[in-house]
Amino acid sequence: MGGLQKKKYERGSVTNYITRNKARKKLRLSLPDFRRLCILKGIYPHEPKHKKKVNKGSTAPRTFYLIKDIRFLLHEPIVGKFRDYKVFVRKLKKAYGKTEWSAVERLRENKPTYKLDHIIKERYPSFIDALRDIDDALCMCFLFSTFARTGKCHVQTIQLCRRLTVEWMNYVVAARALRKVFISIKGIYYQAEVMGQLITWLVPYQFSHDHPTDVDYRVMATFTELYTTLLGFINFRLYHSLNLLYPPKKLSALSASLARMVSSAEEEEAQLDQFPVEGEDMEKLEAREREQKEQEAQKKLFDGLKFFLNREVPRESLAFVIRCFGGEVSWDKSVCIGSTYEVTEETITHHIVDRPNASTQYINRYYIQPQWVYDCINAKIVLPVEDYFLGVTLPPHLSPFVEEKEGDYMPPEKVKIMALQRGEKPEQEDEEEEDEDEDEEEEEDDNDDEEEDEEEDEEESEEKNLKKMEKQRSQGKSLQVKVTPGKMKVENPERLEQEEKAEEKRLAIMMMKKKEKYLYDKIMFGKKRKIREANKLTAKRKAHDDAEKANKKKTRK
Amino acid sequence: MAAARRLKRVVASQPGFLNFKSSSESLSGRRKRVNKNKKKSWNKHSDINDVEEFLEDVRLQERTTGGLLAEKSDDSLFFLDVGQPKRAERKAAEPIEGKKRKGKTPRPLRIDLILQQDSLIPAPKDVLAYQQPNAKKLRRISQKAEQLAAKGVVTRRQKRLLSRRPVTKEAKKSDTEANNNPNRDYYDIWGQEQSTVKDSAEDWYLQQTGKKRVKRPEKLSDRPSVLPAVEVIAPGGSYNPDFFSHQALLKEAHEVEVKKQKEEDKLERQLAVNKDDTATEETVIREQVEGLVEEEEEEEEDEEEAAHDEEDEDAEGGSSLAKKKTERQRKREKADKIKELRRLDSKRQMDHRQQLFQLRSIKASIKQQEQSTEDKQKIRKANQEAEKSQPRRLGKLKFQAQDLEVQLSDELAGSLRQLKPEGSVLKDRFKSLQKRNLIEPRERAKFKRRHKLKYVEKRAFRAIT
Repeated sequence: MGGLQKKKYERGSVTNYITRNKARKKLRLSLPDFRRLCILKGIYPHEPKHKKKVNKGSTAPRTFYLIKDIRFLLHEPIVGKFRDYKVFVRKLKKAYGKTEWSAVERLRENKPTYKLDHIIKERYPSFIDALRDIDDALCMCFLFSTFARTGKCHVQTIQLCRRLTVEWMNYVVAARALRKVFISIKGIYYQAEVMGQLITWLVPYQFSHDHPTDVDYRVMATFTELYTTLLGFINFRLYHSLNLLYPPKKLSALSASLARMVSSAEEEEAQLDQFPVEGEDMEKLEAREREQKEQEAQKKLFDGLKFFLNREVPRESLAFVIRCFGGEVSWDKSVCIGSTYEVTEETITHHIVDRPNASTQYINRYYIQPQWVYDCINAKIVLPVEDYFLGVTLPPHLSPFVEEKEGDYMPPEKVKIMALQRGEKPEQEDEEEEDEDEDEEEEEDDNDDEEEDEEEDEEESEEKNLKKMEKQRSQGKSLQVKVTPGKMKVENPERLEQEEKAEEKRLAIMMMKKKEKYLYDKIMFGKKRKIREANKLTAKRKAHDDAEKANKKKTRK
Repeated sequence: MAAARRLKRVVASQPGFLNFKSSSESLSGRRKRVNKNKKKSWNKHSDINDVEEFLEDVRLQERTTGGLLAEKSDDSLFFLDVGQPKRAERKAAEPIEGKKRKGKTPRPLRIDLILQQDSLIPAPKDVLAYQQPNAKKLRRISQKAEQLAAKGVVTRRQKRLLSRRPVTKEAKKSDTEANNNPNRDYYDIWGQEQSTVKDSAEDWYLQQTGKKRVKRPEKLSDRPSVLPAVEVIAPGGSYNPDFFSHQALLKEAHEVEVKKQKEEDKLERQLAVNKDDTATEETVIREQVEGLVEEEEEEEEDEEEAAHDEEDEDAEGGSSLAKKKTERQRKREKADKIKELRRLDSKRQMDHRQQLFQLRSIKASIKQQEQSTEDKQKIRKANQEAEKSQPRRLGKLKFQAQDLEVQLSDELAGSLRQLKPEGSVLKDRFKSLQKRNLIEPRERAKFKRRHKLKYVEKRAFRAIT
C-alpha cells in the first residue's frame, strides 16, 4: 500500500517497552549476566497496562523492560567487566585443557574484578535514601551469615556478611537504638530506630537449616553482593556519626565495647533536649519531652543489672539485646570467646536458664527463663520476675508490632503490662491525663462544626473510659497485693471531670442535625459491636483460665 | 679379620665345643674329580658349610647375648633357685607390668616395636654418610669469613646482597579487589558533597571526551511496589502465642486450605461423568438402528410437507396481487409525510416547553447519574490501589504465594530451647523479592538434551534375543 499509511505497532506504548531477549541481545550479554546486571543496577521488569498492544497483538506472557532503562544500561562500565570475565573463563578453560599450569596461575592472578561503589552512589545519592533500603540488606546479610561454610556459595561472602552483621549489631548497641523484639517461629524480628528511620529486620535461628531447592542461589548471591557493599558503606557512616573508629577491632563476641575516638558524644546528645523548636505549642513540646524522657528511661532499662547466660539459651541474640539496654552479660568460657566473668561471680543479678531445673543455686540472683528479657524490652519496663521462674508456665509472648485500637480485644497479659507501666509511674499518669484534658478542651473550642473533630473527642473519651475500666479492673486485682492509699485520692477529681465530659457529650449529641446523627449512629454501632466482641473474647478467656485452674487443682489432689 | 676367623675355626674344632645348632648331615656320595688349585673352582667345589655353620652360630650368640656364651661369667647365665620368691617382690612386679600408661605417652605402636633394633651388636657406622666433599676447603672458607666479620670488613658480594631490595609478596590483586573480600575497607561515599559545584568548562570537556556519567532516569528511583521490605508475621506466629491470636492464624491457614479443597472439588465435579449419560442397552440399540427403519417415518414426513406447501402458496398469492401505485396514493403519502413531520415538530416544541416543568426530576436524574459515576470511579480507584499491592505478572509464571507459617497447637514448644523453627527464611526472602516485583518468578531450568538419546542393544543381548 501507500507509504503514508500508518503501520500498526509503530507508535504509542509499544515503543516504550522491549522484551527481555531483545534487551539481552542489545547488550550482548548472556542471560545470567543480564539478570545480574539488572539486579545490581536496580532495573526491574514492568508490566504494561495494555499487554496486548505492547506484545503486538499476542497475549503470550513475556517479560518487558522499559527501553529507557535498557538504554541507560548501555552506558554502564560494569558491562565491559562482564564481557572480560567471559573471555577470562574461556582462556582459563583452554589453559586447563592444555595443562599449561603457569598460564593458569598467571590468568588466575589477573582475574578481572569489578567494584560496585559507583552503583551505590548512583542508586542512593544521599545517606537517608540508603537508610530507607537497609531493611532488605540487613535481612540478606544476616541470612547469609548463618549459612554453613560449605562450598555452595563463596566462603568469603559468608565471612564478609558475618563481619558486617556484627558491626551493625555493635552500632545498635552503642547507639541504644533497639526498640522492639519479637520471637516468632520463623526467626527473631528486631526493630531499631536509626536517625529517625524505623528499621525492621529478621534474623533466622542458628540451628535451622534446610536448603530448599526452588530458590535461585545465583540471584540471592547477586543481591547479597550489592547489599554487602551497601551495608558496609552505611556502617562506615554510622560509626563516624557516633565518633567511633571504623573498622572496629575484635568484635565477634559482642561483649566488648567499642573504642571511641572522641568521648564527648554523649554530652552533645544531652544538650540537644533543651532546644525548643519555635512555633510549637506548649503541649506538643511537653509531649515530645515526655517521649524523649521515656526513651531515655527505656535506653537504661537494664542499667546496673548483670546477666549470666547458661549454655542452652540463644547466646548471640540475648547478648545483643541485653547490651542494647545497658546490661552486662557473660557466659561460660567454653562456649565462646569473649566471656568477661564466670558463673561464680557474686554480683550476677540474673541467671538465664532454659532447663526445667537449675543445677546449683546461688542465693542472691534470680534464675529466669529467656522470655523475661524480651518481654521487658517490649513492655519498656522491668517486669516482675515471678512469672518467669524455672518450671513456671510462661505468659504468652505478645507481638510488639501489633497496635491495638481502642475497642479491639487486648489479651489480659497486655492489660497487666499496661497497668504495670502505669502503676510504676503514678505521678506521670496525672500529668498525662491533664494534658489530654487540655488538648480536648482546646480542640472543642476551636472546631465545633466539623464532625471529624467531634468524633475524635468522642474517640478520646471512649478510650479514656475503657482505660479507666481496665485500670480499675487491674487495680482491683493488684489491690489485693499492695495497698496504696495514694491512688484512691487521685480518682475523685478525675471522676468529676469525667462526669462533666459525659454531660457535655450528651448535649452535643442532642444538638446534632439529623444527617450527622445518622452518621454518628452508624459509627457508634460499629464501635459497640467491636467492644461487644472484645468482651465476649475476654469472657471466653476467663472461662478458659478458670477451667484450667480447676484442672490444676484436680490434678494436684 | 682373617686372624679372628682362624681363631674361631680353631675353637670350633676343639672336641668339647658346644654348638647351638646341630651339625648338618655330611654330604656322602661320589665326588667328581676337580682341580682345586684354580681360584675358579674354589667357590664351586669346596665345602665350607661347617665353618659357615659355626660362624653363624657365633654371630647368633653375639647378636642375642652380646658375646660368646663361653666367655660369659657363671652368674650371668645361671641363678640359684631357692624356692618361692617373696610376696612383695611379686606385687611390685605385677602392677608395673599391668599398669597401663595413664600419663602422656601412649603405648608404642606395634610397627615401631617391630622395626626396632633388637640385636645387641650396634650397627656399623656409615662412614660415607659423614663424609663431606671439600670439607677442608669449606672449613677454610668459613673460618676466613669469620675472621673478616670479626674484623668488621664487609666483602663486595655481601655489600651487593644487602643493597638488594627485599621481595614483598603482594596479595593477589584479584583477591583484594574482589567484591566479597572479607577484609575490604569502606570509605565515606556520601561525604564529598562539594562536587556539586560544577564548572561549566569541565562539564563540556567531560561530555566531549565521553567521560561524563549518564544521568540516571528518575523513574528508576520509584519503588516497584508499595509493600514494605520486611513483613512481620501475625501475633499468632509467636513462639509462645496468645490463645486467640494463635486461633486467628490457624483460622486463616484453614481458610486457605478450604479454598484449595474447594477448587479441587470443583475440578472433580466438572470432570465427573453423569450417570444418565452412560449407554444403556436401549440407547445402544436405538443408535444402531437409526436410519434403518424407513416406512412409517416417510409417510409422516409427506403429510407434514404438504401442510407447509399450502401455507406458502397463500402468502405468495397475497403478494402477487400488488399493483402500481396511483397518483392518489402518492399524494396521500406525501401529505402523510408532511403531517408526520409537523407532528414531530410540534411534539418537540411541546417537549421543550414541558421540560421547564420537569426541571426538578431532570435534576434528580442528573444527580443520580453523577453519583453512580462517582461510585464507579471510587470502586475503580480502590481496585487500582488494591492491585498495587498485588504482585504484578512479570513473566511466564504466576506468583505463587508461600504457605502461611503456622505451628499447630501440639507442635507449639513450651520453651525456647525446644522450639523447632518453621519455614525457611531463605525461601521467605526469595518470595518477598518476587512479591515486590524485583524479580520475576522462575522455575528451575530443566535439563534439555540437544540430541535424542539412542538406545542400542549390546551384541551379547542381540545374540540371545
